[in-house]
Amino acid sequence: MESINAVDKELDRVLGKFTALKNHGLRTVGDLETQLLSLKNELQSAPPESKLTFGQISILSQVMTKVKEATSRIATEHRELHGTVSKVGKSIDKNFVPDYDSVVSDKEFRTDEKMKILDKVICNHFFRSGQVEVGEELAKEAGLAFDVKSKEPFQEINQILEHLKGGNVQSALAWCDRHKDKLHEMGSSLEFKLHRLCFISLIQEGPSRQKDALTYARIYLPKFAGTHQKEFQSLMATLLYVSHGMDQSPYRHLLDPFLWADVSETFMRDACTLLGLSIDSPLAVCVNAGCVTLPALLSIKQVMMQRQVQGMWTSKDELPIEVDLGTKCRFHSIFACPILRQQSTESNPPTRLVCGHAISKDALARLSNSRQVKFKCPYCPMEQNPADARQIYF
Amino acid sequence: QTRKYKRKIEESFTDELDAAQICKRRIEHLRMGASAFENASDPNNEPVLSQWKRTRLDRFLVEHLLRTGHYATAMKLIDDNRQLKSLTNIDIYLVAQAVESSLLNRETATALAWCHDNRSKLKKLHSQFEFHLRKQDFIELIRTGRRVEAVRHARKYLVGQEDVCFEEVQQCTGMFAFSTSDTISPYKHLLDPDRWSHLVEEFRSENYRLFQLSTQSVFSAVLQAGLSVLKTPQCYGSRDKKNPDCPICEELLNELAKNSPYAHCSQSRLIDSISGQPMNSDNVPMMLPNGYVYGEKSLQDLAAENEGIIVCPKTKEIYDIREMKKVYVM
Repeated sequence: MESINAVDKELDRVLGKFTALKNHGLRTVGDLETQLLSLKNELQSAPPESKLTFGQISILSQVMTKVKEATSRIATEHRELHGTVSKVGKSIDKNFVPDYDSVVSDKEFRTDEKMKILDKVICNHFFRSGQVEVGEELAKEAGLAFDVKSKEPFQEINQILEHLKGGNVQSALAWCDRHKDKLHEMGSSLEFKLHRLCFISLIQEGPSRQKDALTYARIYLPKFAGTHQKEFQSLMATLLYVSHGMDQSPYRHLLDPFLWADVSETFMRDACTLLGLSIDSPLAVCVNAGCVTLPALLSIKQVMMQRQVQGMWTSKDELPIEVDLGTKCRFHSIFACPILRQQSTESNPPTRLVCGHAISKDALARLSNSRQVKFKCPYCPMEQNPADARQIYF
Repeated sequence: QTRKYKRKIEESFTDELDAAQICKRRIEHLRMGASAFENASDPNNEPVLSQWKRTRLDRFLVEHLLRTGHYATAMKLIDDNRQLKSLTNIDIYLVAQAVESSLLNRETATALAWCHDNRSKLKKLHSQFEFHLRKQDFIELIRTGRRVEAVRHARKYLVGQEDVCFEEVQQCTGMFAFSTSDTISPYKHLLDPDRWSHLVEEFRSENYRLFQLSTQSVFSAVLQAGLSVLKTPQCYGSRDKKNPDCPICEELLNELAKNSPYAHCSQSRLIDSISGQPMNSDNVPMMLPNGYVYGEKSLQDLAAENEGIIVCPKTKEIYDIREMKKVYVM
């Protein structure tokens, strides 16, 4: 944040000075212009044969010198501003990193094959996030043959999302109807949420629609009485407030516009689970993770350079530091042996000792030199046979 | 005349002010992001933050698409979100596109005009690009047999550069001795049509140097970092370990991440494969007799639906809930 403020300060300075100089310059030149015009008119109004009077000549020369002075002054001031401008540049250089070559190789995605894969990834991302036209344009430009079928479900989903944004739940309800078996299996509350929104908007329209609200409730809501009992009861109670409006009622939380965003998200989530896909575009997740990681890598690289440790990291290595991305980005179980402090791999899986403590296979081998002799668990006083330890799977 | 001067002042000042305004807009965008991150724990802030992240990804993609030559797609992205125009440097890339396509059409005029526009900075960078362009013109003149013109051209443009690129000038003059169809000419590498593609590459790198742009797009750098930090050995292991939510388990990204280093973990972080929730002291990991470990909560739910019987989701073996044993993970 301080970097942003520092550059911002310099920028403001530049903007201020430039605007001031611009206005001043324009004003001065404007004055001179009027002066010259008036002189010109004066000279023109005089008869063509008459010679210039002495006074007129001196005025002329005065004006000439003034013009010269003004122009040179403006030019010097402009040049001086160059200093302020370069300060902005220096501030940016000091506070922001120009390139990442020290931590990520720039040759990585250069091969044709990788470029093609990258194009496909970007294209899929566009289809996923509803930017369908952009995706199609990219497919055209990059010469990608995309499966028409693969983007169909996304088109439908995105269309429904658009409708939901506009407050229209009909297409979403139609979709729910088509997939109601699977949704029921998942235990999804999507349909209930949609009907609830409809009902509330009917109530909001006041006593004139009271009958419509009741009919709506009678047709669509009873099946939720069992599964969403408490919510159902609150909805029915809102009927009390038809005439006065719900703003003052204890149920005003049902008016919250957040409910619309929530129903959009629920729809997205359920639709993706139905299709067996991840909820967020994988590219977006990756890029966001990278944005958190890159600054950390840059600072550690700086430290490494200072201590004369060099070399780029390859696939045989791990990154030098741990970056915590939060629980949302944990997709796999990671077991780190508490004794050897290494990640478990296929050849070094985690094992559970009889006492319940989990260590890696290599650590177990080290603790017990042969397979028969009893050894003591490092974390509790239980003695046990190494053969009794079980390999575990997460 | 004063009127012309006045206009000139206005123009140049307006240009500089516009540039400063663009900088200001970018700073504002960054500031919004920084404060959104600072308030990340506030749930009301969530839509602001995710919208900002989406804009960030879009501007990365615009720059990357421009660099890889997919100009139409980049323009379409900008059309959809006008804010991106001031957040990316499309003008530089559009100029570059014009120059590159003219070079591929084997003409140097556009490129030479570009050199002229940027001559002071190119001089500071000690760029030899203009000289190479003139050299290519010379070669083309020789190729089409217009030797007299070639001599005049050489006298005009190539002579001044002797101190810098003496060898190259020598080679050029040497070309006179041989006819253009001579396949044994020691100078035939100069007649190679691939020289045009080399010129395109040289232009690209000079262009980047000029504007202090990195050789790879920010998108590419960030993606690599992201692939690494999410990469685990399970993404490349057996099929049943793959998680449909994990980006690296997805087929295309999996391929891209093959050469990246793995994420570093010094602490165990376990997830219950049934619910996707973390396993910790609130949701104790429990081992079934077959060695598979799940979260206590999920196992209890499974048992509750089935009168105390659990069917292991991975191997389908049947166990009683009382057979599960606690696993202590440090």
